[in-house]
Amino acid sequence: MIEFALSKKQQELKEALHSLGRHVIRPMSLDMDRNKEVPESFLRNFMMMSRGVRSDDIAEFHEGTPRKERDPSKPSESNRTAVIAAEELAWADAAIPLSMPGPGLGAPPVRATGTPEQKKRFLGMFRDMDTGPLKWGAYGLTEPGAGSDVAGIRTSCRKDGSHWVLNGRKCYITNGGRAVWTVIFATVDPSLGRAGHRAFVVEKGTPGFEVGKIEDKMGLRANETAELVLEDCRVPEENLLGGEEAYRTKEGFMTAMKTFDNTRPLVAAMAVGIGRAAYEYARDFVKQNYVLTRPIPRYAAIADKLAKIGRRLEAARLLVHRATYLADMNIPNAKEASMSKAAAGQAATLACIDAIEICGAHGTLSSEHALLEKWFRDIKVYDIFEGTGNIQRVVISKRIVSNLKSF
Amino acid sequence: MIAFEPTEDQRLMQQAVAEFAKATLLPRTRELEHARGVPEDIRRTAHEMGLGLVTAPEAAGGQGQGLVTSVLIEEELGAADAAAAFGLAGPGAFGRAVIELDGPERAAELLAGFADEGGWDRFGAVAWSEPAPCRTHEGFATRAERIDEGYRITGKKAFVGNAALADRFVVFAQVEPDRGWGGIGAFVVRRDNPGLRAGERHKTLGLDAASFGEVVLEGAVVREADRLHGDGSEEGFTRAALRFFVKHALVVAARAVGLARFAFDLAREHCDTRVAFGKPIGHFQAVAFTLADRAMDVETSRWLVWKAAAAWDAGLHEREALLASARAAAHAFEATMRTADDCVQLFGGSGFIRDLVAEKLMRDAKQLMLAAPTAEQLDQLASAIELGQKLDPALVLPTPDTQAIFT
Repeated sequence: MIEFALSKKQQELKEALHSLGRHVIRPMSLDMDRNKEVPESFLRNFMMMSRGVRSDDIAEFHEGTPRKERDPSKPSESNRTAVIAAEELAWADAAIPLSMPGPGLGAPPVRATGTPEQKKRFLGMFRDMDTGPLKWGAYGLTEPGAGSDVAGIRTSCRKDGSHWVLNGRKCYITNGGRAVWTVIFATVDPSLGRAGHRAFVVEKGTPGFEVGKIEDKMGLRANETAELVLEDCRVPEENLLGGEEAYRTKEGFMTAMKTFDNTRPLVAAMAVGIGRAAYEYARDFVKQNYVLTRPIPRYAAIADKLAKIGRRLEAARLLVHRATYLADMNIPNAKEASMSKAAAGQAATLACIDAIEICGAHGTLSSEHALLEKWFRDIKVYDIFEGTGNIQRVVISKRIVSNLKSF
Repeated sequence: MIAFEPTEDQRLMQQAVAEFAKATLLPRTRELEHARGVPEDIRRTAHEMGLGLVTAPEAAGGQGQGLVTSVLIEEELGAADAAAAFGLAGPGAFGRAVIELDGPERAAELLAGFADEGGWDRFGAVAWSEPAPCRTHEGFATRAERIDEGYRITGKKAFVGNAALADRFVVFAQVEPDRGWGGIGAFVVRRDNPGLRAGERHKTLGLDAASFGEVVLEGAVVREADRLHGDGSEEGFTRAALRFFVKHALVVAARAVGLARFAFDLAREHCDTRVAFGKPIGHFQAVAFTLADRAMDVETSRWLVWKAAAAWDAGLHEREALLASARAAAHAFEATMRTADDCVQLFGGSGFIRDLVAEKLMRDAKQLMLAAPTAEQLDQLASAIELGQKLDPALVLPTPDTQAIFT
């Protein structure tokens, strides 16, 4: 059936997160931005609270293994539910979903490529956060010399006995400084391209694995972005994701790249959340400050702008729903995931720009009640990280143009 | 639960219409264009399939299907020949108008004959636009004066779909000139009414197989029972009129989605096969990215249209369904125009030559954008809903501030 209504469970989750966002997160949003930190007390409370709210689907999404036996006739809703939660939290403050304790962006490669033992070991360690310390996982792919051109990474790995020795530098790693482990991509030989890539789970405290600079950013300031340095870092062979067997074929790397099919819609949903926040702000500003007349509003150009923001965001949201629907149905969705990310990054960035314009000078002010300038700073990176808008178009192009291997 | 899967029944119907469109409409699209109409044999086939009565109530010989089924079918027609979708027999906009404006109870009476054997040659029409905006008062220039027998209607309508073919019309006219848009009414006028005649047929940019023309009312007398009252209140009538216009836009938008899909597929195939500078042109980034953007346009348009149709079928709050429809149709119209334009552009010189269908798609796309409330009007409506303004038909009707539109 063609349906766009949320399930009861999803609706309840959305409402709970919305209420939390409005009453708790938004009021502290500006302080978090200034202090460059999401208070740990909040995160802990959130984790406690969300035990009641958090559906098994969300838990499954983050931890990678179903909490209970799943009825095979009932497909999972976990991807669809996760994006609804992500949009709602980002609507409140986008630094929150990105700073949430858990394996984060590190989970999908472990889930997709990890052996059963690795999954148990690296994902299982997040289950005791209710009582123990908060923990984060991270994903380390980007390097100073390789951003969009993922195949060009230079971080090296070489086998030495029962260890791998890693050397190189990773940058722009979300939660990289605080992570208990990071999935690090390295290469046995740069001339092999993707076939030479290996993915390791590198644990915090491993000798030779250091946190470099913590970045000072335009937006998403409350979320940590770190540089990671690997100097003769010896990683036990058990930490090679999937074991050596997984890399005999080219599949190994491709599986690791499938990470993005799950995370891109999630990131796109957050972008929609920020865009929606800006849109609602501008809409309410117009409602309260403009003299609106009918039949055609005197401010037709403003109405036109608002409507266009609204429908671009809705279009992006539907691409997100579409991509996650396919994921839940176990249908390949790389094209759709990239579409959602490309559309959302663009739509939400334009939404923030136009919202500022509609509100005029007021839109540039910064206070607890005026977060528009913050969203304007936060949103830009959504058209950059998890693959830039142009990279998404490369992914889409390869799936609509025949025999297109690369440009 | 969010799902993008038509029901089995919908899929079968979609498939049957797709086959008809591909086998019957597509190969003859130029023939239809030159004939400036849909030939008898095609209309007979479509009538036997019940195409014109899919959403008509069962009491009127229809299938009583919802809007989701309707948009699925309209997309398939549009993907072969959007003009033919207008030129097939059936109650069309007339059917939607009487059901919205008078409720389904009288549908059997007002839609009599469409399901009969002779239904293949029966058309309905809705006359709302006028050749020029009314300068003397807010509202329609066409007047409906109260007389003892009912009303006498005088004026001229333009841009009316099937004006010369229809055997029954819904005519919008001003009943109380001093009450502006609150003083309008809608009347059923039959072809055999001596006060009604079809005026000149318009020569149009595109959609040649559809027929748009003038309707002249020279003191057409109708009974009180021929006035469509909605629920009897002014507010009720206004909302019913808005529902009609917006649902009409949604159906036209579904055809636009089909046209966009057609144009996209054509362009993609060309980019796969046309070789320049030693490789298929689709292997150049500027071309491939254009295709990627248009692929997003096609998909977003389709999902927005589905969501809006599902909103009506699910009985969502009226403002919500109106908003979803306004957004969907506005987006689909613009996206379709972009897609058809890029299709011609990617073909280069050959896109401009009539040997190829690309140029026709571009002309049809522009005409489609004017065959229902326009994107600009729908954006104004969407903003009026979002800003909590009073909704009235002026938002989607031709006023001195907006352009004339086709029904």
